[in-house]
Amino acid sequence: MIKKNNLKNLIVPIFALFLALLVSALIMLLSGYNPITAYAVIFKGALGSKTGICNSLVQATPLIFTGLAFMVAKKATLINLGVEGQLYVGALVGALVGTVDFHVPFIIHILLVMISGMIAGGLAGLFIGWLKVRFGSNEVITTMMTNFIIINFTSYLVTYPLKAEGPTAQSERMLPTALLPKLFAKTQLTWGIIIVVVIAILIKIFIDKTKMGYEIKAVGHNKRAAQTAGIKVGHVILFSMFLSGAIAGLGGAVQVMSVNRRFIAGFSADYGFGGISVAALANDSALGIIISGFIFGLLRNGAKYLNMTSRIPTEFVSVVQALVVLFVAAPLMIEKILNIFKKKKEIK
Amino acid sequence: MITGFISSILSLSIPLILAALGGVFSVRAGIMALGLESMLLFGAFTATVGSYYTGSAFIGIFAGIFGGMVIGLAHGVFCIRYKMNQVISGIGLNLLAVASTTLLMQIIWKNKGSSVQVTSVSLRLSFLKDIPIIGDIFAKQSIILVITVALCVVGWFVLFKTPFGLQTRFVGENPKAASSVGIHVHKYKYIGVTICGALAGLGGAYISIDSLNMFVRNMSAGRGYIAVAIAILSRYNPIYALLAGLLFGAFEALQIYLQGYGVPSQLIQMIPYIVTLLVLVIGVQNITPPAGVGAHEDD
Repeated sequence: MIKKNNLKNLIVPIFALFLALLVSALIMLLSGYNPITAYAVIFKGALGSKTGICNSLVQATPLIFTGLAFMVAKKATLINLGVEGQLYVGALVGALVGTVDFHVPFIIHILLVMISGMIAGGLAGLFIGWLKVRFGSNEVITTMMTNFIIINFTSYLVTYPLKAEGPTAQSERMLPTALLPKLFAKTQLTWGIIIVVVIAILIKIFIDKTKMGYEIKAVGHNKRAAQTAGIKVGHVILFSMFLSGAIAGLGGAVQVMSVNRRFIAGFSADYGFGGISVAALANDSALGIIISGFIFGLLRNGAKYLNMTSRIPTEFVSVVQALVVLFVAAPLMIEKILNIFKKKKEIK
Repeated sequence: MITGFISSILSLSIPLILAALGGVFSVRAGIMALGLESMLLFGAFTATVGSYYTGSAFIGIFAGIFGGMVIGLAHGVFCIRYKMNQVISGIGLNLLAVASTTLLMQIIWKNKGSSVQVTSVSLRLSFLKDIPIIGDIFAKQSIILVITVALCVVGWFVLFKTPFGLQTRFVGENPKAASSVGIHVHKYKYIGVTICGALAGLGGAYISIDSLNMFVRNMSAGRGYIAVAIAILSRYNPIYALLAGLLFGAFEALQIYLQGYGVPSQLIQMIPYIVTLLVLVIGVQNITPPAGVGAHEDD
């Protein structure tokens, strides 16, 4: 019985991804592009060379962070659309701590940047949790509103008070001691990918093996039953929103330490919302998110090659992302489509 | 000056009111309206496409309504037929609307920022222009303002004074009981989300081809989420949605007014979102949606 469920947990997301790629291929076909060539270019670009694979991993790193952040909140049935904003907060605070010379070894400086980004993102998440617990505000809307507020406010900060010299709205360059070392020279791939994998494993252990992890799952499963069992639902909501925001904030800090080296206004390529798709495709499993983050990372990276060689817009990856969210959440629909295939086989 | 301010409140409220009114219908039928953003954006897009290919803003408006309806119906199929989590469906559609309109924009107009200029709605209430004060406020308003107010009144009448409205509210409160007395629950839910899509689609069309004459990437800019807050604040009553929409429109107008005073634009742009947040926190604490939202008749 359990095995059968596991299989089902795998089939729905895989088929959903397949369906999303198929629908996108159809859109390409209808708009006069050849989808087979397009997918060939994507996969060759993203996986065909060492640079390609490295760049796919660079793209995957923030997506795995945001996927984990979204998943942790969702375990307690909270929809944290604020991952995008929390990522910005973590990136800004991390980038600022990275510009200060503390006269400490680089390992300590790196840790300081990471921890400050985490705490900043965590507090941004905690604020949403507090609004939910104290005022009963729907977190979907409060997170969207805070996203707009945070993105505008950080953009204000690096356009006026914190602006570095030059035409772009960005903060001062971080010190070399605050940057994550590269894994391979001439690539943007840094320790970030290793950090995010470690975080994913830690979260897996946290959810499966600790009391708090169990309480989060219990609240997610049935709020009233959890309350009756003596779990303080309010505390659980606050904690899971803090944790979710902290992971997103760490993702932002790692991004500035690896790729941007400073805070740039509007730097996120919708990583926060991409995380929703990553978590969906992984069926909210922490280790699965590493894989699904890589899948979307390679699609995003491959789409860049696509843009160089053809006129197909990169936005079609965002369409795939959105369709995955929808299809994974509709297992009844997937089953129905699969049944049609089955019946055809039986008739034959 | 004051008349100019009131005039911009009215014109900026229109899409908010229309979308919130749509949300009222959807929630009253028991379907959460978090997909409003996608219906607004998609309506804005299809309206522009309609106007672009036919050269007629009138057809554009209908294309906008139709575009919103398609998304509303899709939300309905996901939530009613496939019992999908309504929040996820709404969010998925919002993501899909941003992604697909940006993609289609590049395919149609070869530009990812904005469309070309298209024919926009030119029908204004200019016959009022000779009346003092009233003329200053209303003469430049679109005919859609009148339609919006009329739709709110009609919407209130339909929801609270007709058998159809009674049954829709019954379905929204308790789908199981409604089903057991022989009401076709699915029918009312589908009608609710389709009306929601049509109204938000009209709101979207207003944004793209009435207040402007083109489609701009992600031009709904969170108004769909603000409309959800307006619908809650209105206690799911069309008349209150009209009033609450005007209140939010006032803050959007304030935003434009302040831009003339050299305040950094990033700070000004935060105003409507901060207000929405405050309203959600302070204003709507004791408002509960109909009891059957998210429930199915055969649970």
